[in-house]
Amino acid sequence: MSIWHERLPHSDSYLVGVSGRLDQSLNPELEETLSRLLDNGHHDLIVDLSHTTYINSGGLRCLVSAWRRARSSDGTLRLCGLNARLQEIFAMVGFDKVFEIYPNCDEARSLGRRATS
Amino acid sequence: MAAQRRLTVPGRYPEIRKICEFVAASASEAGFDEDTVFHLELCCDEASTNIIEHAYGGEDVGAIDVTTIIDNATFTVTLQDSGRPFDPTAVPAPPDINNDLAAGLSTDELSQQLQVGGLGLHFIRNLMDEVYFTFDEDHGNTMVMVKYLQGKDV
Repeated sequence: MSIWHERLPHSDSYLVGVSGRLDQSLNPELEETLSRLLDNGHHDLIVDLSHTTYINSGGLRCLVSAWRRARSSDGTLRLCGLNARLQEIFAMVGFDKVFEIYPNCDEARSLGRRATS
Repeated sequence: MAAQRRLTVPGRYPEIRKICEFVAASASEAGFDEDTVFHLELCCDEASTNIIEHAYGGEDVGAIDVTTIIDNATFTVTLQDSGRPFDPTAVPAPPDINNDLAAGLSTDELSQQLQVGGLGLHFIRNLMDEVYFTFDEDHGNTMVMVKYLQGKDV
């Protein structure tokens, strides 16, 4: 169970991966990771959920909150790799309409913002 | 013949996982498929989180008592706490995103509304067949969640 992140090659975008359950055990770490990236001016984020087996309302709130912050700085937060159960949870509260969701994480990676320097 | 199981844990966030596992084991025993067990786990997670956050107002204030009952046609989970009265029916439902988007509300305005909360209860109302809440001075809050056994007409 862990949260990891990497800067995408030739890009200003960061990918944050979640391995395990997005519940009380991991939500604080995800929130901290996303907040730190946003605090440091990284507003183009991809969250890879392909190794995420569970999400509760706290996990959803954490993602929406980071998405809002990214958007307010002209960035965005995309999601990729959701399994069928996670997709169902997102759809139940209409979050599938709020987030850009990519089934394939390679596709989401390719949309990363190109480095400006 | 009804099968009843009971678990009592301290009202702490790490204990929620134990509640989920306990309910998942009982639900599997009741014959639910994996998707339904997953749904029941989510409902118990959300209900337990609400107890710690709202009824107790924090961790280590009181215990959470969980009972599961399997009878001929239903699977019932009862969660009890000794916290302050918490009326989940007073929690507003989250916005209907499909309708609100159609009404021209921006996604930013929507996401602001979604911060208000009530998402957990939305899951519970959507995924359980029946939900009841009661409060009395002796037993505190009692939340009863019922799921009909698969293939049974109730």
